[in-house]
Amino acid sequence: MVLGLLAVGLLLGGYTYLSHRQHIENPEDTTIPSWSQLKEGVVKAVQPHPRSGERWVVVDSKATLSRLFLGLLCGVLGAVFLGILMGCSATVEALLVPPLSLFAQVPPTAMLAVFFVLVGTDTEMYVAMIAFGVLPTLAQTVHLSVRDVPEELLYKAYTLGASHAEVVWNVIVRHMLPKLIDAVRLQFGPAMVFLIAAEMVVGDVGFGYRIRLLSRLLDMGVVYPYLFYLMMFGFLMNVGMKQLQRLVCRWHDGGRRSS
Amino acid sequence: MSHLNRILWCLGTIAVILMPVQALADPPSFSLAWSEYPSWSVFGVAHEVKLIDGHKGKLGPIEKKWNVDIVLREADYDSCITMYGSGAVDAAALTNMDSLNPALTRPTVAILPTSTSFGADALIVPKDITSVTQLKGKKVYGLAKTVSEYMFVRNLQKLGEKETDYTFTNMDPQAAALAMQQKRRGYDAIAVWNPFVLDTLEKRKDTRVLFDSTSIPGEIIDMIVMSKKSLDKPGGKRFAKAVIDTFYAINQRMTDPATADDTLIAIGEKFSNLGLQSMRKVVQQTRFYSTPEQGIALFTGDSLVQTMRTVTQFCVSHDIVPKKPSVSYGAGGTAALRFDPSYMQAVKKRNGD
Repeated sequence: MVLGLLAVGLLLGGYTYLSHRQHIENPEDTTIPSWSQLKEGVVKAVQPHPRSGERWVVVDSKATLSRLFLGLLCGVLGAVFLGILMGCSATVEALLVPPLSLFAQVPPTAMLAVFFVLVGTDTEMYVAMIAFGVLPTLAQTVHLSVRDVPEELLYKAYTLGASHAEVVWNVIVRHMLPKLIDAVRLQFGPAMVFLIAAEMVVGDVGFGYRIRLLSRLLDMGVVYPYLFYLMMFGFLMNVGMKQLQRLVCRWHDGGRRSS
Repeated sequence: MSHLNRILWCLGTIAVILMPVQALADPPSFSLAWSEYPSWSVFGVAHEVKLIDGHKGKLGPIEKKWNVDIVLREADYDSCITMYGSGAVDAAALTNMDSLNPALTRPTVAILPTSTSFGADALIVPKDITSVTQLKGKKVYGLAKTVSEYMFVRNLQKLGEKETDYTFTNMDPQAAALAMQQKRRGYDAIAVWNPFVLDTLEKRKDTRVLFDSTSIPGEIIDMIVMSKKSLDKPGGKRFAKAVIDTFYAINQRMTDPATADDTLIAIGEKFSNLGLQSMRKVVQQTRFYSTPEQGIALFTGDSLVQTMRTVTQFCVSHDIVPKKPSVSYGAGGTAALRFDPSYMQAVKKRNGD
């Protein structure tokens, strides 16, 4: 904890020095803003815009986060569906594993133009892009963890008279869920990369749009707080997902401790 | 600091004295950031045909002539603005409009106009739209707070239309052109620049130009800007002249029938996949200031003053600049952005001798 604080302190000190050095070179510089410039930037981002009356942070958060969660939701649902099918049926497995492992290798950011062509440039595009971006990895995770379910558990459940559906729900899903949550947590980063890249090109609102626009206008006093905001968001999502895993999958953590 | 300067001066003087011995060993080097655009790709081509060598520490004939090392840094346009604004490069290829923001924090001298948009920025609509009033309530797509929006708004003003009746929506020009070419619903007007103007008109036959930058000639100026501080460094002015000399040398190749087509193809190579015929059109729509006379005429003429007044006003009213930058003309002065024809004049004089 102390070391962590020290590291953060060093980072802040380093930044202050960088900014100070740049301002000695050029007192008017806005590319490595000083703390007071950053404060102005924050105010600018948070207060209502004089003409439109919109608060940048609010409209951008709404746009970006709704796109992100919608995309992730579609991706996760699709992945769970496909993953369980692949794990339970050898036919589906043989059918889907090769294309999925191939698709997983294409970075969605490289396919931006393809997405524009196929799904236009509205919300569906962002959603499709994120969903396709995270689906292959997640589906493979689900698939592997389903395959990973210990056979004795399955036999035990069937011996106790469970139906197929009950086995899937009570054994397989429970076994897979904590791993899925872990995988989703790790996919937040890539999903954000896809989304920001797309917003930089076609967005008229959202983090990617704002960051590109203000970088072009050299208004880094606003850009840096935005980056900080993104960082905190990612951090909180990470912590949140871990908490969620602990809350929803009590058996997962407990199992690890007893073994 | 002054101490350091004095030492530098001493070293400079010694270097000059030792020059015959040293044989141009270490001329000062300055960097120029440029992006692919007809009148800026000129510098990439100059490197390719070995008039200059864009690598650090290597000199082409023009660099030797001026005894200065030109370091070329190619990047996309947005990055050029950022790089120049942060002081990472000494000079950059920017438009007059986009020079205002960096100039606010980094006193800037425009040393050379390279071209002006004369049709290279256009509003493209499907053929069934014949009047701009039909666009009320519809979205016009283009990159916000750039020359695209400027061209759109200026044309509205000229037509006596109210800007608030129209919606300009941000979108990357390439994506907007793609949407138009695919006839996607809701895309009834795009304000884009070349190569997307020609590309769209070529690929979707039922579109037309509703208006373009020919109605505002000389208002959108592509140019080379340089930091005042870098200009004042030893060799800075020679660098400015070498850059200008390079630009006119390539322009000469474009007018010489023996090299014209090759040069044009070279310029167009990375700019678009349009053919030679289209590139001929491109350089008409991006009118080059191809001789020192033309460049000097622009920088010393009265129209530029009016233009910059209009552009600055636009930038202030559209929140592109946080405050109004001071603009001046001619040599000397402390304005944020200064248009200085003296380096072009110097190059003209030396080459005329």
